[in-house]
Amino acid sequence: MSGTVSVLLAKTLTSSTFKLALIAIGTFGVIVSVIFSYVYLSTSAYVRGRSDRAIMLEYSSLQGAYERSGREGLLALTQQRMADSSFSGDMYVLADPSLAVLGGNLKVWPPTVTETSGWTEFRAAHRLLNETNRPLIRAMVGTFPSGDRLLVGRDISDLDSFTDLIKAAVISGVALIFVLAGVASILVTRRTVGRIESINATSRAIMLSGLDKRIPLRGSNDEWDRVAENLNLMLDRIETLMGEIKQVSDNVAHDLRTPLTRMRGRLEKAYHGQRVAKDDQWLIGETIGDLDAVLRMFLSITRIAQIESQARKDGFRNVDLVDIASEVVELYDAAAEQDGTRLTVIADREVLATGDRDLIFDAIANLVDNAIKHGRAEGQVVVAAENVDGKPVVSIADDGPGIPTEEYEHVFKRFYRLEHSRYTPGNGLGLSLVAAVARLHGVKIDLLDNSPGLKVKLWFSAIVR
Amino acid sequence: MIAHRRILVVEDDPDTADQLIDSLTSSGYRVDLAASGTEALTRGVAGDYAVITIDRMLPDIDGISVMRQLRDDGVVAPVLIISALGEVDDRVRGLRAGGDDYLVKPFSFVELLARVEALGRRSETIVKETILHVGDLAIDLVSRTASRRGKHIVLFPREFQLLEYLVRNEGCIVSRAMLLQHVWDLHFDPSTNIIDVYVGRVRRKVDDQQAYPLIHTVRGVGYCLRAPG
Repeated sequence: MSGTVSVLLAKTLTSSTFKLALIAIGTFGVIVSVIFSYVYLSTSAYVRGRSDRAIMLEYSSLQGAYERSGREGLLALTQQRMADSSFSGDMYVLADPSLAVLGGNLKVWPPTVTETSGWTEFRAAHRLLNETNRPLIRAMVGTFPSGDRLLVGRDISDLDSFTDLIKAAVISGVALIFVLAGVASILVTRRTVGRIESINATSRAIMLSGLDKRIPLRGSNDEWDRVAENLNLMLDRIETLMGEIKQVSDNVAHDLRTPLTRMRGRLEKAYHGQRVAKDDQWLIGETIGDLDAVLRMFLSITRIAQIESQARKDGFRNVDLVDIASEVVELYDAAAEQDGTRLTVIADREVLATGDRDLIFDAIANLVDNAIKHGRAEGQVVVAAENVDGKPVVSIADDGPGIPTEEYEHVFKRFYRLEHSRYTPGNGLGLSLVAAVARLHGVKIDLLDNSPGLKVKLWFSAIVR
Repeated sequence: MIAHRRILVVEDDPDTADQLIDSLTSSGYRVDLAASGTEALTRGVAGDYAVITIDRMLPDIDGISVMRQLRDDGVVAPVLIISALGEVDDRVRGLRAGGDDYLVKPFSFVELLARVEALGRRSETIVKETILHVGDLAIDLVSRTASRRGKHIVLFPREFQLLEYLVRNEGCIVSRAMLLQHVWDLHFDPSTNIIDVYVGRVRRKVDDQQAYPLIHTVRGVGYCLRAPG
């Protein structure tokens, strides 16, 4: 079990969804980091600026006092400040040019401060604390014309820890976002990978064992269920087609076996028998005839395949269906006469459609051929070419036994034969050719009960003028 | 006339080439073979051929291109393109509109001979006569009527067309596909015996109760109209 989990995890980590999530997290993380850094930097700059301004203000008021009333005036003001109840804890040091302290609240001039004017930072001396824990002082130093130096400073340890706090918050915030996003993307990816894995597993099972398996639906009605649904529909279709192909190849095998067996038997008999010129002549003739039947079958299959590949649309012209129907009727007139069938044509003046004349002729000829062959002896076959509701229609009707309604959907299948015996002449490809021609021309085929008999209607699409 | 019985066969498959040469030679043609498109171009220009047959799929140049190139080089001999059904495209179908022809594999050699014969005749001068005679049959091309021994034969227009085509090809084999093509202008091989039934009716009208038959069936291929002797 832990094996499957680690495989799933490995698939999750290598899946494209996860990689996409990582890219998203990376981009988002950089943006968040930039925003947070800006917040941190501007906050600490603001805080420092405020304290610097306060120090500067204090320095200039002390400087004023010194200029007005010298050392004493300045020291008096510092005393006054320190005595104030709201004293902020500022540091004041006034020293002579030799840096001996003259007054203020520091005992000695801070040894690290060597500047004569400007900003400085130092650690305040403290007898209880070691070097690093001593408060950090930020101070302004200035030198008066007399050589006396003034230092005004303030403990900024608090400010420092405040900005440190912000820094820590920013860093941990960004880190938290990264971790959460990472976990979320792993979870989401795992779900996706899980669904894809179930589809993959079913596909593998189908490849291994057959087309009867289907991808399970979760009932969540989400896009994954729809993908699974469509794949299942596709599998249904493939299964049907496979069944049809099997049926077709069985039929081809049967239709080939019959003439081939006949030929073989005939040749074998001749091989073992006496050479008689007249018999040999007959045998060769019959064998060529059987071979021609086999070749014609292959030709029909190729022809249907070629029509179905849509390769012949460039031969399309505007054709008059009345002309074609009349020519077919004329061609079959002799055959109908032979069968005692009355073959007639009913036509409007002109019925125009777009298509390939040869193919339409062949399709109508096949239907007329069927109508004469399968219609009633001494019966009637009517071919009509008309405009019905602005649509060109060709119909072929006989008054024979017709075909049962439940067979309608099957008769256009390749090699399908109504009587299920396969011994009557014809190869069961005629109607498949009609269906292929119809598909190429966008023709809708209706099979209707002519009571009695069958009526086939071909609905062409009206031409674009 | 002898010069017009020369045929150039362009075919790269040795077995098919042998069979083609064999059947054409036994029908009295002198046959040259070109096994590639380039060889066909050299031979086609050099020799005076009555007909050139070209396989659609050659190893070097496409059959149709060979034909175009020959035309550009001034070769006027009619061309028969031999093509598998899958390779029959509009360019091949277009051949029949001009003076050329195509044949779909697999074909019977009688059909091939019939087509080569028809193409070869096309390059000869057509006699401008208004009445054609074969034996005791006479057909009048102007009044579109036919008669035997002066007795009128009642024919539908299409039946007359069919008879005219047979008469024009007197003594030669005419295949079903050729009839469908020249009489009905349809370019496919009929899968049913419909042509036979149609010719059967014409034959009854022409040959019944006559001294001798004119229309003869050529088994497995088609028909031949000829007078006895």
